[in-house]
Amino acid sequence: MANGLRMRLAIHNLSDRQIGALRDAYAQIMAIRDNRGYGFLAGLHGTPGHYCWHHQQNARSALQMRLFLPWHRAYLYNFEMAARSRVADVTIPWWDWTLHSPRQTPIPKIFNDQNVNRRPNSLFRFRINLPNTNPPINRDTERDPAPERELPNQGDIDEVMSNTDWADFEGALEDLHDRIHGWVSGDMGIIDTAAYDPIFWSHHAMIDRLWWLWQARNGNGNITPDLLDVVLAPFNFRVRDVLNANSLGYDYAAAQSVVTVGGT
Amino acid sequence: MAAASSSTRASSSVSSSGAGARPPRSVSAPRRVTTPSKTFSSQPVPIDFAGPVHRSNRIDLEVHGIFHGEASYEGRIFFNNPDADRNTPKTPENGYAASFYIFGHGGCLGDVGHCEVNEDTREPYDFRPPHPLTPAVKRVKVTRVLQEIAKTSKEVVITIVPVVTAANELCDTENVFRCEEMRFVSYNP
Repeated sequence: MANGLRMRLAIHNLSDRQIGALRDAYAQIMAIRDNRGYGFLAGLHGTPGHYCWHHQQNARSALQMRLFLPWHRAYLYNFEMAARSRVADVTIPWWDWTLHSPRQTPIPKIFNDQNVNRRPNSLFRFRINLPNTNPPINRDTERDPAPERELPNQGDIDEVMSNTDWADFEGALEDLHDRIHGWVSGDMGIIDTAAYDPIFWSHHAMIDRLWWLWQARNGNGNITPDLLDVVLAPFNFRVRDVLNANSLGYDYAAAQSVVTVGGT
Repeated sequence: MAAASSSTRASSSVSSSGAGARPPRSVSAPRRVTTPSKTFSSQPVPIDFAGPVHRSNRIDLEVHGIFHGEASYEGRIFFNNPDADRNTPKTPENGYAASFYIFGHGGCLGDVGHCEVNEDTREPYDFRPPHPLTPAVKRVKVTRVLQEIAKTSKEVVITIVPVVTAANELCDTENVFRCEEMRFVSYNP
């Protein structure tokens, strides 16, 4: 891109080349067992890291710790950079779960094919291997999706986006997010293992995109100033550092087709 | 906005752990559960604040102190239908108001004490993040449904029907809905 921003694109519009690059990036980081790898990054969310912010966790003080959206923006950024360190131009595509058949299968096809070209599809599942949890976990991720009719529709999104108060919006979007995790079920259905499922990142790209769209209309709303300097551990970001997606080097688009202009 | 509240304390019984004896092998992948979970029904709650004279432009049902350490579930809210269950259609005629969704942790994967929340005894200079299982709050808009009920009734019975969406063998799915308190909060323009 001329302005240097990378574009996160809609799954349903990805080209074969873009899908191939995504699969390649995921496969490569899944093969890494150190702290650059998929297992390490997925483990920051639920078990064993337990860093993620959900459900406000607000008993500590009157300050409502509404860090769900900022924390996951920082998380996606770090995951995306890890993927791009393997495949340079890859970005996390967003999963529009309001698109129904025939335009898109309930679990998008790129995540649902067990094999592609006779090789395992890296977007289908991941092997969780956590020998030190109690009990341990050593198995592939699974899904147990509900019927397609139970997916949200555009009206559900419109209702969430109609909130102009930051706390109302954050709470409503988190609830919609919770609904999708439950809809996919299986490992995506619980916090401890959700991020091990490769579809997790695209679900959260959709959530992050909705926040970004809301920000375009409402700015940062009345987000509590006391939150702005809270550190989003384990990442080297404060809340204020992630409020502008463009400052993190990305934006959202439906599709992108680069046209090379040749000179004569 | 000016707010008025009416509260009811949830009395659903709580078991401290549904885990029981822990299996030594790998934890199973979570699954959707079709067996019914215990529903919660409140005592009748006065809803004078929802009457037309108060001109509320928004009424929320806030559910405080929700446990989210085990299964994930949809909490279906019904008014004046204590017999509602997971098969009750989600229609106004059945008293359905709205749903909230809990993304649960999926049971304890740590050693003894790992999932104990001790926020109340935290010392003043403890700046570590709060425990991840600090109870949740959900706020659900129920304005129109409650105002409609208030036209003919001065009280409402709140029923929460939990429908488990993901659970493994570490989760007590029978007692999945556990909370401390509910509040109606109404706002005026």
